[in-house]
Amino acid sequence: MPNQSGSLYGLTILSPIIDDESATPSHDLQIREYLANLPTDCKGPFALAPYTHLTRLAVMDDVIYVGMPSSEEHLKFKYLIWEANFDGDLDRYLVALAKTVPDQINAIWSHCVGYPGTANLDKFLTYMKSCQLETTFYFAAVNDKSLTQTLTALQTQRAVADFIAKHRGTPAPELQREFLKFSARLKAMPTPLPAAVSHPRGIKTGGRNE
Amino acid sequence: MSNINGKVYAMNVVTPMKPWKTWFLRLIFFLLGAIKSKQQDLINLSFIEFARWVIVPRKSFPRPDERMDAEELRYDYLLFFSNFNGTWNQYIDAFSAVLFQGLNLIWMWSEKFPGSVPVTPFKEYISRVQFDTDYYYTAYPHATANDLKAAHIVQASFDQLDATTATCTPREFEAAYLKFMLQVQSHLGETGEPPVVF
Amino acid sequence: MSKLNVTDIQGFTLRGYNLPFARYLFLHFAEDPKHTRALLHELLGRITTGQCWDNGKPSSTLNIALSHRGLAALKLPAATLLTFPVEFQEGMKARSEILGDTGINAPKNWDEMWHSGHVHAWVAINGQTPADIDACHAELTDLIEKTGGARELGHQDAAAIVVDGGASTIEHFGYTDGFGNPDYVGVDRKSQPGHGKLAKDGKSWEPLATGELLLGYADEAGELPVAPMPHLLASNGTFMVYRKLKQNVAAFRAYIDHEAKFYTGGKAKLEAKFIGRWKDGTPLELSPNYENQAIVKDPDQSTNFTYSGDPEGTRCPMGAHLRRVNPRDSFGFKGGLVNRRRITRRGLPYGRYVPDGQPVSDTEDRGIVFMVLNASISRQFEFVQQQWIEYGNDNHLGNDKDPLLGNHGGHGKFAIQGDATAANPPMICSKLPNFVELKGGEYFFLPSITALGMLAMDLVDPR
Repeated sequence: MPNQSGSLYGLTILSPIIDDESATPSHDLQIREYLANLPTDCKGPFALAPYTHLTRLAVMDDVIYVGMPSSEEHLKFKYLIWEANFDGDLDRYLVALAKTVPDQINAIWSHCVGYPGTANLDKFLTYMKSCQLETTFYFAAVNDKSLTQTLTALQTQRAVADFIAKHRGTPAPELQREFLKFSARLKAMPTPLPAAVSHPRGIKTGGRNE
Repeated sequence: MSNINGKVYAMNVVTPMKPWKTWFLRLIFFLLGAIKSKQQDLINLSFIEFARWVIVPRKSFPRPDERMDAEELRYDYLLFFSNFNGTWNQYIDAFSAVLFQGLNLIWMWSEKFPGSVPVTPFKEYISRVQFDTDYYYTAYPHATANDLKAAHIVQASFDQLDATTATCTPREFEAAYLKFMLQVQSHLGETGEPPVVF
Repeated sequence: MSKLNVTDIQGFTLRGYNLPFARYLFLHFAEDPKHTRALLHELLGRITTGQCWDNGKPSSTLNIALSHRGLAALKLPAATLLTFPVEFQEGMKARSEILGDTGINAPKNWDEMWHSGHVHAWVAINGQTPADIDACHAELTDLIEKTGGARELGHQDAAAIVVDGGASTIEHFGYTDGFGNPDYVGVDRKSQPGHGKLAKDGKSWEPLATGELLLGYADEAGELPVAPMPHLLASNGTFMVYRKLKQNVAAFRAYIDHEAKFYTGGKAKLEAKFIGRWKDGTPLELSPNYENQAIVKDPDQSTNFTYSGDPEGTRCPMGAHLRRVNPRDSFGFKGGLVNRRRITRRGLPYGRYVPDGQPVSDTEDRGIVFMVLNASISRQFEFVQQQWIEYGNDNHLGNDKDPLLGNHGGHGKFAIQGDATAANPPMICSKLPNFVELKGGEYFFLPSITALGMLAMDLVDPR
């Protein structure tokens, strides 16, 4: 099934955006504005809810005309693209989002045609699935590790590098004792929060031109 | 709005295809999916975390409400979403340099695709059909695909050593620790801030 | 391809002169471009070209390159100035965040001369003796005074380090330097395996496309490099990066001495692991356990190796300087991801050399004048500097930096891969300080003789 790779699920959704001439600003611009201000760090909705590795939202305002001799055509609707890569099962994922961060999900999708809201889970699931596109080909570099396993492994990797650097030349009996202490400490540490960065940083954006 | 979050770049590319050509592309993706060895180049490139292609037939744009007008289109559309590490130029340069045949097989069905070699017209085409991302989230902005693979190797080796440490003698531990070091020694790169995008 | 017109190409572009002394002068052009053009006109016939030296080496050579501000000071048409690549227009200082030239390497810590931002031209004199340099410099000063075309902002002397009474190719840390610049199609030089790019068989070597070095020729992607218009201004020219790198020899020696206590492979091997060659130049990849002059002296061996047999870095560490800046086949695809990132290097040490074992202080300024020639500064030099020196993802090294050149700020890490033997143990070096500091630099355009003539005679039409 091309929507899945190993234990990862690749969800692609195209939600038509409400085309209402009386709306000011238009619904697509309202989505853009909301998304521009939505946190992408550990306070973001996909960090607060479980399972998401990577996800993106983009407004597709039209299709692109690539020039002669192809013919020019335009979409009747603008679409909200949602691309998500998460652990496991689609229903479980959507339900978790609807339950954990309903306000954010509703704020985004309330600008879309036929969106029923998260309050009625069945309707919400039906809506999302009616907007879903079957992925034709899906590639995941690591497709056998959950989000929790990944965040833990990154923490372990950093700690192990420090441990090895600090214990050069330590005699075996002491090294063994130190390792046991280290291992106990490491295992007692809570799973790191998703999108939590060890040192805060300013937002860096950049162009694509060399 | 940014296509960049930490070490990943989100690329959205949407290209038109004549509907009869779509079937050739479906066949190619079927073969790529079925023959794992064909994916090896994608894996060897090692800077793609997730990527997908989605064919949207001209009459299949989602209509969650049946009262809404149907799209009237002459073309099918190929959607490409990639989450890659490094710069836009680096990504396209790499594709053009070593994966051009595979790339051509995928995009040659799209209107006006200039071919992936030489690289400058290819880049111009991609920038024209690329949509910017409005919201981009990653659970691990400080890690690349390489970092993730490395971290999982370190975790597995750590678990292995950890399982025996409490019960073995110091001499046994010394040997096990050396083995552990050799397992993890090329997987300990620091995770952190990405370089400035240019 | 047909032979290059070596009479049109500055000699500095085509070869390292292998002359033991050099002086790099930095000029600020006159207010009135007429005077500067007159100066360029005077220099035209004196510029050293790529022609063969049938009668032996000259006593001195002269070459010139211009910054974007310099070209603007010559009042080139705006339409032409805008066709130069963005990074060259911006200059090196403006690119410091991209290059990782931050902290101690930030422009505010550069030598005084760079603070004004008004370096318009670089003039290089290479010579047999200091007297030859002085003579050429005096002649240049006369021309500057006669034409009123510029003023000298300052200069940097450099010289090969003398060992056993003769000029050597070692640098201040004590490593033998100067192996293996790339070969390019059409550039006539003594070539050896390992100098170009890997051929399709993954074993033999062939020259890189001319357009990786010179503007106006096809590059490795099969197209002309981004270059200024009109094409005559660009052809046979190249871009040059100038960087003055101070070497903290005391810090380096102290660090190595400290780390060697934990390294059972011995101090000499530890030093070799940092760079990928033993101090005498023997590649670790070919001789992991000892120096071997037979390899160093044999052009068929000294640069003839790949990393496919050492995927874990147990011979040459994944993070060693050599493996970073020229990864050869490290990324697979028979080097296909590397061929458009190669650079040609020029340079000479500056400052007093202190042999190992003698007291040395880092308050004394010594280091290397490091220059890069490439068709695209952003695609070649900047990429290597950012992605391979100040970062490590391509080499599966995360954020770890080049152990020797990295801007570590005291927090650097270098993993030395090893095996189960005591002679080649795995080790992690941490808390790396800056062994090298940036003291100034700029991006320059090194024009052809034709282009220099166009500048001197104001023949670049607006378009």
